[in-house]
Amino acid sequence: MYDLIIAGGGPAGVAAGVYAARKKMKTLVVTDSFGGQSLVSADIQNWIGTKNISGFELAQNLEGHLRAQEGIEILNDKVVEVFKSEGGSFRVGVKGGKNFETKAFLICSGSRRRRLGIPGEDRLDGKGVAFCSTCDAPIFSGKMVAVVGGGNAGLEAAVDLLPYATKIYLLEKMGFLRGDAVTEERLRADSKINIMTEVESVEVMGDNFVSGLKYRDLKTGEEKNLSVEGLFVEIGSVPNSDFVKDLVELNKFGEIVADPRTQASSVSGIWAVGDVSDGLYKQNNIAAGDAVKAVLNIQEYLNKF
Amino acid sequence: MIEKKVLIYTTPTCVYCKMSKDFFAKNGVAYEEKNVVADEAARKEMVDKSHQLGVPVIDIGGEIIVGFNREELEKALGLGGAGR
Repeated sequence: MYDLIIAGGGPAGVAAGVYAARKKMKTLVVTDSFGGQSLVSADIQNWIGTKNISGFELAQNLEGHLRAQEGIEILNDKVVEVFKSEGGSFRVGVKGGKNFETKAFLICSGSRRRRLGIPGEDRLDGKGVAFCSTCDAPIFSGKMVAVVGGGNAGLEAAVDLLPYATKIYLLEKMGFLRGDAVTEERLRADSKINIMTEVESVEVMGDNFVSGLKYRDLKTGEEKNLSVEGLFVEIGSVPNSDFVKDLVELNKFGEIVADPRTQASSVSGIWAVGDVSDGLYKQNNIAAGDAVKAVLNIQEYLNKF
Repeated sequence: MIEKKVLIYTTPTCVYCKMSKDFFAKNGVAYEEKNVVADEAARKEMVDKSHQLGVPVIDIGGEIIVGFNREELEKALGLGGAGR
Protein backbone atom coordinates (compact mmCIF):
# COMPACT_ATOMS: atom_id res chain seq x y z
CA MET A 1 0.00 0.00 0.00
CA TYR A 2 1.42 3.38 -1.04
CA ASP A 3 0.75 6.59 0.86
CA LEU A 4 0.64 8.48 -2.43
CA ILE A 5 0.59 7.73 -6.14
CA ILE A 6 1.34 10.65 -8.45
CA ALA A 7 0.24 10.46 -12.11
CA GLY A 8 2.43 12.62 -14.37
CA GLY A 9 6.02 13.85 -14.75
CA GLY A 10 5.62 17.51 -15.67
CA PRO A 11 6.49 20.37 -13.33
CA ALA A 12 3.52 19.45 -11.11
CA GLY A 13 4.30 15.73 -10.82
CA VAL A 14 7.97 16.38 -10.10
CA ALA A 15 7.30 19.14 -7.54
CA ALA A 16 4.85 16.82 -5.80
CA GLY A 17 7.34 13.94 -5.85
CA VAL A 18 10.13 16.03 -4.34
CA TYR A 19 7.91 17.29 -1.51
CA ALA A 20 6.40 13.85 -0.88
CA ALA A 21 9.88 12.30 -0.64
CA ARG A 22 10.99 14.96 1.84
CA LYS A 23 7.90 14.19 3.93
CA LYS A 24 8.90 10.50 3.79
CA MET A 25 5.62 9.45 2.25
CA LYS A 26 5.76 6.04 0.54
CA THR A 27 5.35 7.41 -2.97
CA LEU A 28 5.10 6.07 -6.52
CA VAL A 29 5.33 8.43 -9.50
CA VAL A 30 3.87 6.98 -12.71
CA THR A 31 4.93 8.79 -15.86
CA ASP A 32 6.02 7.91 -19.40
CA SER A 33 7.86 11.21 -19.92
CA PHE A 34 9.24 14.22 -18.08
CA GLY A 35 8.90 17.96 -18.59
CA GLY A 36 5.25 18.20 -19.61
CA GLN A 37 4.17 20.19 -22.62
CA SER A 38 7.09 22.64 -22.36
CA LEU A 39 9.36 19.82 -23.52
CA VAL A 40 9.20 21.12 -27.09
CA SER A 41 9.73 24.80 -26.22
CA ALA A 42 12.91 26.17 -27.77
CA ASP A 43 13.51 28.71 -25.02
CA ILE A 44 11.63 29.15 -21.73
CA GLN A 45 12.29 32.58 -20.23
CA ASN A 46 9.87 32.60 -17.29
CA TRP A 47 10.83 29.56 -15.20
CA ILE A 48 11.61 31.43 -12.00
CA GLY A 49 15.24 31.31 -10.93
CA THR A 50 16.50 30.51 -14.42
CA LYS A 51 17.02 33.31 -17.00
CA ASN A 52 16.37 31.00 -19.89
CA ILE A 53 16.32 27.28 -20.52
CA SER A 54 15.23 24.96 -23.33
CA GLY A 55 12.26 22.67 -22.72
CA PHE A 56 14.55 19.67 -23.16
CA GLU A 57 16.98 20.89 -20.50
CA LEU A 58 14.13 21.75 -18.12
CA ALA A 59 12.77 18.21 -18.58
CA GLN A 60 16.20 16.74 -17.81
CA ASN A 61 16.54 18.94 -14.71
CA LEU A 62 13.09 17.95 -13.48
CA GLU A 63 13.80 14.24 -13.98
CA GLY A 64 17.20 14.59 -12.28
CA HIS A 65 15.69 16.41 -9.30
CA LEU A 66 13.05 13.70 -8.83
CA ARG A 67 15.49 10.80 -9.22
CA ALA A 68 17.78 12.39 -6.63
CA GLN A 69 15.10 11.95 -3.94
CA GLU A 70 15.70 9.11 -1.56
CA GLY A 71 13.01 6.46 -1.34
CA ILE A 72 10.89 7.60 -4.26
CA GLU A 73 9.71 4.98 -6.75
CA ILE A 74 9.31 5.94 -10.41
CA LEU A 75 7.46 3.75 -12.91
CA ASN A 76 7.82 4.36 -16.67
CA ASP A 77 4.15 3.81 -17.51
CA LYS A 78 0.82 5.60 -17.66
CA VAL A 79 -2.19 5.50 -15.32
CA VAL A 80 -5.24 4.27 -17.24
CA GLU A 81 -7.80 3.51 -14.52
CA VAL A 82 -8.60 4.33 -10.91
CA PHE A 83 -11.14 2.61 -8.65
CA LYS A 84 -12.29 3.15 -5.08
CA SER A 85 -11.27 0.27 -2.82
CA GLU A 86 -12.57 -0.88 0.58
CA GLY A 87 -11.44 1.25 3.52
CA GLY A 88 -10.99 4.52 1.62
CA SER A 89 -7.96 3.60 -0.49
CA PHE A 90 -7.74 3.50 -4.30
CA ARG A 91 -6.66 0.89 -6.83
CA VAL A 92 -4.61 2.47 -9.63
CA GLY A 93 -4.15 0.53 -12.88
CA VAL A 94 -1.39 1.31 -15.39
CA LYS A 95 -1.17 0.68 -19.14
CA GLY A 96 1.40 -2.09 -18.60
CA GLY A 97 -1.29 -4.06 -16.72
CA LYS A 98 -0.12 -3.75 -13.08
CA ASN A 99 -2.33 -2.49 -10.24
CA PHE A 100 -1.30 -0.59 -7.11
CA GLU A 101 -3.12 0.35 -3.90
CA THR A 102 -2.74 3.83 -2.49
CA LYS A 103 -4.20 5.93 0.30
CA ALA A 104 -3.98 9.18 -1.67
CA PHE A 105 -3.90 9.83 -5.42
CA LEU A 106 -2.61 13.02 -7.03
CA ILE A 107 -3.44 13.70 -10.68
CA CYS A 108 -0.83 15.75 -12.57
CA SER A 109 -1.54 14.29 -16.01
CA GLY A 110 -1.61 17.65 -17.80
CA SER A 111 -3.21 18.18 -21.16
CA ARG A 112 -2.68 17.33 -24.80
CA ARG A 113 -2.96 19.37 -27.98
CA ARG A 114 -6.39 20.25 -29.28
CA ARG A 115 -7.02 19.37 -32.92
CA LEU A 116 -9.09 21.33 -35.44
CA GLY A 117 -11.44 18.44 -36.19
CA ILE A 118 -11.87 19.43 -39.84
CA PRO A 119 -11.65 17.26 -42.99
CA GLY A 120 -8.10 16.55 -44.15
CA GLU A 121 -6.45 17.23 -40.78
CA ASP A 122 -5.96 13.57 -39.78
CA ARG A 123 -5.27 12.29 -43.28
CA LEU A 124 -2.54 14.89 -43.87
CA ASP A 125 -1.07 14.72 -40.34
CA GLY A 126 2.70 14.80 -40.80
CA LYS A 127 2.19 15.49 -44.48
CA GLY A 128 2.15 19.24 -44.00
CA VAL A 129 -0.13 19.33 -40.95
CA ALA A 130 2.26 19.87 -38.05
CA PHE A 131 1.97 20.21 -34.29
CA CYS A 132 5.60 20.95 -33.32
CA SER A 133 6.96 24.16 -34.81
CA THR A 134 10.32 23.97 -33.02
CA CYS A 135 10.81 20.50 -34.52
CA ASP A 136 9.50 20.90 -38.01
CA ALA A 137 9.67 24.61 -38.96
CA PRO A 138 13.00 24.25 -40.86
CA ILE A 139 11.50 21.61 -43.15
CA PHE A 140 9.15 24.29 -44.52
CA SER A 141 12.09 26.29 -45.81
CA GLY A 142 11.06 28.26 -48.91
CA LYS A 143 7.39 27.31 -48.53
CA MET A 144 4.19 29.23 -47.73
CA VAL A 145 2.54 28.13 -44.49
CA ALA A 146 -0.43 28.86 -42.26
CA VAL A 147 -0.55 28.90 -38.46
CA VAL A 148 -3.97 28.41 -36.87
CA GLY A 149 -4.38 30.00 -33.45
CA GLY A 150 -3.68 33.54 -32.28
CA GLY A 151 -2.69 32.75 -28.69
CA ASN A 152 0.89 32.56 -27.41
CA ALA A 153 1.49 29.12 -28.92
CA GLY A 154 0.38 30.30 -32.37
CA LEU A 155 2.46 33.46 -32.15
CA GLU A 156 5.53 31.46 -31.11
CA ALA A 157 4.99 29.00 -33.96
CA ALA A 158 4.98 31.96 -36.36
CA VAL A 159 8.24 33.19 -34.79
CA ASP A 160 9.78 29.72 -35.23
CA LEU A 161 8.77 29.78 -38.90
CA LEU A 162 10.06 33.31 -39.64
CA PRO A 163 13.61 32.28 -40.64
CA TYR A 164 12.36 29.59 -43.03
CA ALA A 165 8.92 30.13 -44.59
CA THR A 166 8.43 32.62 -47.42
CA LYS A 167 4.95 33.63 -46.25
CA ILE A 168 3.13 32.97 -42.98
CA TYR A 169 -0.63 33.37 -42.61
CA LEU A 170 -1.68 33.59 -38.96
CA LEU A 171 -5.36 32.74 -38.54
CA GLU A 172 -7.46 33.60 -35.49
CA LYS A 173 -11.19 33.14 -34.88
CA MET A 174 -11.55 36.16 -32.61
CA GLY A 175 -11.17 39.76 -33.75
CA PHE A 176 -7.76 40.11 -32.08
CA LEU A 177 -4.64 38.14 -31.14
CA ARG A 178 -4.47 36.77 -27.59
CA GLY A 179 -0.74 36.32 -27.02
CA ASP A 180 1.98 38.44 -25.44
CA ALA A 181 2.19 41.99 -26.82
CA VAL A 182 5.99 41.66 -27.22
CA THR A 183 5.64 38.73 -29.62
CA GLU A 184 2.73 40.29 -31.51
CA GLU A 185 4.72 43.50 -32.14
CA ARG A 186 7.64 41.49 -33.48
CA LEU A 187 5.36 39.63 -35.89
CA ARG A 188 3.47 42.72 -37.05
CA ALA A 189 6.81 44.36 -37.96
CA ASP A 190 7.64 41.53 -40.40
CA SER A 191 6.36 41.71 -43.98
CA LYS A 192 6.32 37.88 -44.25
CA ILE A 193 3.45 37.71 -41.76
CA ASN A 194 -0.16 38.11 -42.77
CA ILE A 195 -2.43 38.25 -39.71
CA MET A 196 -6.02 37.23 -40.45
CA THR A 197 -8.59 37.64 -37.68
CA GLU A 198 -12.25 36.55 -37.56
CA VAL A 199 -11.55 33.56 -39.81
CA GLU A 200 -12.26 29.86 -39.29
CA SER A 201 -10.48 26.87 -40.86
CA VAL A 202 -12.82 24.65 -42.87
CA GLU A 203 -10.75 22.00 -44.66
CA VAL A 204 -7.14 20.98 -45.22
CA MET A 205 -6.63 20.40 -48.95
CA GLY A 206 -4.09 18.14 -50.66
CA ASP A 207 -3.58 14.67 -52.11
CA ASN A 208 -0.35 13.23 -50.70
CA PHE A 209 0.78 16.45 -49.05
CA VAL A 210 -0.93 19.66 -47.93
CA SER A 211 -1.54 22.03 -50.83
CA GLY A 212 -3.97 24.48 -49.29
CA LEU A 213 -6.30 25.51 -46.50
CA LYS A 214 -9.95 26.36 -47.03
CA TYR A 215 -11.20 28.93 -44.54
CA ARG A 216 -14.33 30.96 -43.84
CA ASP A 217 -14.36 34.71 -43.35
CA LEU A 218 -16.64 35.06 -40.31
CA LYS A 219 -17.56 38.66 -41.18
CA THR A 220 -18.91 37.85 -44.66
CA GLY A 221 -19.48 34.07 -44.43
CA GLU A 222 -17.44 33.70 -47.61
CA GLU A 223 -15.20 30.62 -48.09
CA LYS A 224 -11.73 31.14 -49.56
CA ASN A 225 -8.57 29.14 -50.19
CA LEU A 226 -5.02 29.80 -49.04
CA SER A 227 -2.29 28.17 -51.07
CA VAL A 228 0.01 26.72 -48.39
CA GLU A 229 2.17 23.61 -48.04
CA GLY A 230 2.28 23.65 -44.26
CA LEU A 231 -0.33 24.03 -41.54
CA PHE A 232 0.69 24.45 -37.89
CA VAL A 233 -2.17 23.85 -35.45
CA GLU A 234 -1.86 25.79 -32.17
CA ILE A 235 -5.39 26.05 -30.78
CA GLY A 236 -4.97 25.13 -27.16
CA SER A 237 -5.29 21.90 -25.26
CA VAL A 238 -7.57 19.18 -23.91
CA PRO A 239 -7.11 17.94 -20.31
CA ASN A 240 -5.94 14.33 -19.82
CA SER A 241 -8.76 13.46 -17.43
CA ASP A 242 -10.39 10.57 -19.34
CA PHE A 243 -9.22 7.91 -16.85
CA VAL A 244 -11.11 9.54 -13.95
CA LYS A 245 -14.09 10.98 -15.82
CA ASP A 246 -16.55 8.66 -14.06
CA LEU A 247 -14.93 9.12 -10.66
CA VAL A 248 -14.38 12.85 -10.00
CA GLU A 249 -16.27 15.98 -10.96
CA LEU A 250 -15.15 17.59 -14.23
CA ASN A 251 -16.17 21.00 -15.59
CA LYS A 252 -17.55 21.48 -19.11
CA PHE A 253 -14.01 21.60 -20.54
CA GLY A 254 -13.16 18.21 -19.01
CA GLU A 255 -10.92 19.78 -16.36
CA ILE A 256 -10.99 18.27 -12.87
CA VAL A 257 -12.73 20.60 -10.44
CA ALA A 258 -10.30 21.28 -7.59
CA ASP A 259 -10.55 23.39 -4.43
CA PRO A 260 -8.15 26.30 -5.08
CA ARG A 261 -7.07 26.30 -1.40
CA THR A 262 -6.03 22.63 -1.28
CA GLN A 263 -6.33 21.23 -4.86
CA ALA A 264 -8.66 18.51 -3.47
CA SER A 265 -11.06 17.05 -6.05
CA SER A 266 -14.73 16.21 -5.43
CA VAL A 267 -13.64 12.77 -4.13
CA SER A 268 -11.93 12.56 -0.74
CA GLY A 269 -8.42 11.11 -1.26
CA ILE A 270 -7.94 12.43 -4.80
CA TRP A 271 -6.23 15.73 -5.67
CA ALA A 272 -5.66 17.39 -9.06
CA VAL A 273 -3.02 19.93 -10.05
CA GLY A 274 -1.77 21.83 -13.11
CA ASP A 275 -3.26 21.77 -16.62
CA VAL A 276 -5.60 18.86 -15.88
CA SER A 277 -7.28 20.86 -13.11
CA ASP A 278 -9.70 23.78 -13.45
CA GLY A 279 -7.15 26.36 -12.28
CA LEU A 280 -7.57 29.58 -14.26
CA TYR A 281 -4.02 29.88 -15.57
CA LYS A 282 -1.90 27.17 -17.19
CA GLN A 283 1.71 27.85 -16.25
CA ASN A 284 4.73 25.74 -15.23
CA ASN A 285 5.34 27.84 -12.12
CA ILE A 286 1.70 27.64 -11.04
CA ALA A 287 1.57 23.87 -11.64
CA ALA A 288 4.64 23.37 -9.46
CA GLY A 289 3.31 25.60 -6.68
CA ASP A 290 -0.15 24.04 -6.71
CA ALA A 291 1.46 20.59 -6.50
CA VAL A 292 3.33 21.60 -3.35
CA LYS A 293 0.07 22.92 -1.89
CA ALA A 294 -1.61 19.58 -2.68
CA VAL A 295 1.15 17.47 -1.08
CA LEU A 296 1.03 19.51 2.14
CA ASN A 297 -2.72 18.98 2.23
CA ILE A 298 -2.26 15.28 1.47
CA GLN A 299 0.08 15.01 4.46
CA GLU A 300 -2.67 16.31 6.75
CA TYR A 301 -5.06 13.79 5.16
CA LEU A 302 -2.62 10.88 5.68
CA ASN A 303 -2.11 11.81 9.33
CA LYS A 304 -5.84 11.17 9.87
CA PHE A 305 -6.13 8.15 7.54
CA MET B 1 24.27 -7.72 -31.22
CA ILE B 2 23.07 -4.77 -33.26
CA GLU B 3 24.29 -4.95 -36.83
CA LYS B 4 21.57 -2.95 -38.58
CA LYS B 5 22.67 0.38 -40.04
CA VAL B 6 21.00 3.24 -38.19
CA LEU B 7 20.41 6.62 -39.84
CA ILE B 8 18.56 9.54 -38.24
CA TYR B 9 17.25 12.63 -40.03
CA THR B 10 17.08 15.64 -37.72
CA THR B 11 16.64 19.37 -37.31
CA PRO B 12 18.87 21.11 -34.74
CA THR B 13 15.90 22.44 -32.71
CA CYS B 14 13.94 19.20 -32.48
CA VAL B 15 13.69 17.79 -28.96
CA TYR B 16 12.46 14.36 -30.10
CA CYS B 17 15.59 14.12 -32.27
CA LYS B 18 17.71 14.79 -29.15
CA MET B 19 15.73 12.19 -27.20
CA SER B 20 16.28 9.63 -29.96
CA LYS B 21 20.03 10.34 -30.02
CA ASP B 22 20.14 10.12 -26.20
CA PHE B 23 18.41 6.75 -26.47
CA PHE B 24 21.03 5.54 -28.99
CA ALA B 25 23.87 6.78 -26.77
CA LYS B 26 22.46 5.06 -23.66
CA ASN B 27 22.06 1.79 -25.55
CA GLY B 28 25.42 1.91 -27.35
CA VAL B 29 23.84 2.18 -30.81
CA ALA B 30 26.12 3.66 -33.49
CA TYR B 31 24.25 5.93 -35.90
CA GLU B 32 24.68 8.35 -38.76
CA GLU B 33 22.92 11.72 -38.52
CA LYS B 34 21.69 13.89 -41.40
CA ASN B 35 20.64 17.47 -40.65
CA VAL B 36 17.78 18.19 -43.05
CA VAL B 37 18.04 21.96 -42.54
CA ALA B 38 21.61 22.19 -43.80
CA ASP B 39 21.36 19.35 -46.32
CA GLU B 40 18.61 19.75 -48.92
CA ALA B 41 19.32 16.37 -50.54
CA ALA B 42 18.87 14.71 -47.13
CA ARG B 43 15.52 16.50 -46.71
CA LYS B 44 14.30 15.09 -50.04
CA GLU B 45 15.64 11.63 -49.13
CA MET B 46 13.79 11.78 -45.78
CA VAL B 47 10.48 12.76 -47.42
CA ASP B 48 10.88 10.05 -50.09
CA LYS B 49 11.51 7.39 -47.44
CA SER B 50 8.82 8.42 -44.94
CA HIS B 51 6.22 10.10 -47.19
CA GLN B 52 5.84 12.84 -44.59
CA LEU B 53 7.44 16.07 -43.37
CA GLY B 54 8.12 15.59 -39.64
CA VAL B 55 11.39 14.87 -37.82
CA PRO B 56 12.95 12.73 -36.55
CA VAL B 57 12.84 10.04 -39.20
CA ILE B 58 14.87 7.00 -38.22
CA ASP B 59 15.97 4.38 -40.73
CA ILE B 60 16.95 1.11 -39.05
CA GLY B 61 18.17 -1.28 -41.73
CA GLY B 62 15.39 -0.10 -44.07
CA GLU B 63 12.65 -0.01 -41.42
CA ILE B 64 11.35 3.57 -41.17
CA ILE B 65 10.25 5.02 -37.82
CA VAL B 66 8.77 8.51 -37.59
CA GLY B 67 9.06 10.35 -34.27
CA PHE B 68 10.61 9.19 -30.98
CA ASN B 69 8.96 5.98 -29.80
CA ARG B 70 11.04 4.01 -27.29
CA GLU B 71 9.12 0.74 -27.76
CA GLU B 72 9.35 0.85 -31.57
CA LEU B 73 13.07 1.60 -31.43
CA GLU B 74 13.71 -1.23 -28.97
CA LYS B 75 11.80 -3.62 -31.21
CA ALA B 76 13.53 -2.55 -34.43
CA LEU B 77 16.96 -2.75 -32.76
CA GLY B 78 16.19 -5.99 -30.95
CA LEU B 79 16.97 -4.47 -27.55
CA GLY B 80 14.13 -6.18 -25.68
CA GLY B 81 13.46 -3.39 -23.23
CA ALA B 82 17.04 -3.24 -21.93
CA GLY B 83 17.10 0.55 -22.20
CA ARG B 84 14.28 1.17 -19.78
